[in-house]
Amino acid sequence: MNKIEVLAPAGNLPSLRAAVDNGADAVYFGFRNATNARNFEGLNFSEKEAIEGLRYAHRNKVKGNVVLNTFPQVDKPDIWYKTVDIAAKIGADAIILANLALLKYCREKHPDLPIHLSVQASASNYEAINFYKKHFNITRVILPRVLTVEEIKKLGEKTDIEMEVFAFGGLCVMAEGRCYLSSYVTGVSPNIEGVCSPARAVRFENRGDKLQTRLGDVLIAEYEADEDAAYPTICKGRFEANKKVYHTMEEPSSLNVLEMLPEVIEAGVVSLKIEGRQRTKSYVGTVTKTFRKAVDAYYSSPEKFRPKGKWIKTLNTTSEGATHTLGTYQEDWQ
Amino acid sequence: MRISIGPCLFDWGKKGITDFYKKMAFETDADILYIGEVVCSKRLHLSPKELVKLAKELKSSGKEVVLSMLGLVMTEEEQVEIRKMAKLAKDAGLRIEANDMASIGVGEGQPMVAGPHICSYNPETLDFLKEVGVERVVLPVELSANYISGVCRDVKSIESEVFAYGRLPLTFSARCYTARAFNLPKGNCQYKCGDYPDGMPMHTQENKQFLVINGIETMSELVYNLIADLKTLQKMKVDILRLSPQSKNMKDVVKIWKSTMDGKIESQEAIAKLLEINGNDPFCNGYFHERPGLEFVQ
Repeated sequence: MNKIEVLAPAGNLPSLRAAVDNGADAVYFGFRNATNARNFEGLNFSEKEAIEGLRYAHRNKVKGNVVLNTFPQVDKPDIWYKTVDIAAKIGADAIILANLALLKYCREKHPDLPIHLSVQASASNYEAINFYKKHFNITRVILPRVLTVEEIKKLGEKTDIEMEVFAFGGLCVMAEGRCYLSSYVTGVSPNIEGVCSPARAVRFENRGDKLQTRLGDVLIAEYEADEDAAYPTICKGRFEANKKVYHTMEEPSSLNVLEMLPEVIEAGVVSLKIEGRQRTKSYVGTVTKTFRKAVDAYYSSPEKFRPKGKWIKTLNTTSEGATHTLGTYQEDWQ
Repeated sequence: MRISIGPCLFDWGKKGITDFYKKMAFETDADILYIGEVVCSKRLHLSPKELVKLAKELKSSGKEVVLSMLGLVMTEEEQVEIRKMAKLAKDAGLRIEANDMASIGVGEGQPMVAGPHICSYNPETLDFLKEVGVERVVLPVELSANYISGVCRDVKSIESEVFAYGRLPLTFSARCYTARAFNLPKGNCQYKCGDYPDGMPMHTQENKQFLVINGIETMSELVYNLIADLKTLQKMKVDILRLSPQSKNMKDVVKIWKSTMDGKIESQEAIAKLLEINGNDPFCNGYFHERPGLEFVQ
């Protein structure tokens, strides 16, 4: 029986090594420019580093997927197309794409390079997935964080494309690749510039005994002295609606599917993606190691599987706000 | 340049929707009407058959009618629905507006409009969409004038449509934020959206206007308004301007746009009139000027 894959993020070489050393089956990384959705200062790979990273991964029988999941900008699309060529040239095990034009280019130019459809393509149903399969022969879809496990299972019955889901980390609660909240406030489009809530637009301000977080000039949340302040992303903000102040969209907590691991595996998912290319190597190592243990424990005795308290505790120490949620995977979240 | 009335993004109920589009068809100078539910499959007040029947009736006004499809397709029922819609539209000779790639797949080969929720960010994408049946593209709302010109350059035989007036549809989620505001589960939302004809305001903790909640969709609270940019839009040779239905006096809104386009009134006068209709709430137009969407550039 093929075990479900543990797929870890790598924002740089040390993180990639931490993922490999802690039992990842595969890693994913992007290049140091706007071609991927974590275009943050000091993050990501040069071509040389990518080659070195892939060599390290392959030597340890770990796969390496290249992320190219933003949309080519009209005035400088070349860098996106070149990145497709580079991924093929350096021997990436798969390329993660969202844009129709890039999908077409990759399929024609590099027919042997497996394509994973990015979460940024927002393919949340079999009609869309099968369309991408028909035209570009994608082999895998990374499912948007909008589906319940039950819906994922039904989806799997209608397509033979591999399904990858987010298992841990930051929880994007919107249909990704189609969310304009951040650009509405900052003017920077995550879809073409690769960054949501850019650091240069973020402010933390002390106002007496309160702490305010802002994105641009917009107050995202105001915290009391004894509260932990979260990084200001609009979908995790605290606003007033229906005469009350609350997290109108989602609490600033992290996704963690461990409690539903058996259901996720039995729904036919082939890969568990850990979010967080922007996080430290220690985060990558800790989370990868914990998921490795959990997945191995499941396969050694599926019926008896229960997530161990210490796994959850370890994972909570890495989480934003130190709390976690099953997110969309459980129906009552909606 | 033509005027379109976009799909109604709010829950105005069966009668509200039907009356509204009849008024738009027979009492305004709009050229194109988009009908159909984009936001929430629980709001499908008109069955596909009823929708096509309404479309035929509206078409007798001489206007083009397009059937708009769901923006976020997740369930089997929703996929059954869009397949039915696409089939009926094809048989009736109507274009469909795809707002999820599922509808591009379902409608492949038949005449389609790629709606504002399809990621049309570059000319190469438009080339591909054209191959599968797309004849018109509504640009993503976050794009600037320069960017739109770039996307549409070199692309012949595909019409361009720009979202020019109305609250901006900014994002979809699986979660219903209106139900959440009432502590109701999505499955038992009690159709609360029906009480908010322009969405439920979501203000900052400083009580500043920010967004509106519209079921699973989140929108700008400010009305996007490009009427001051009309000359630029004309120079760009944009084919169609979309006016998105708002609850207040859309008939006059269309009239003001039409008069401005025909040069009968100046844009300053048009803005003053639109402000009055909008209860003197400010407008935004930042996206068009490469600024944050919520800004208004004079």
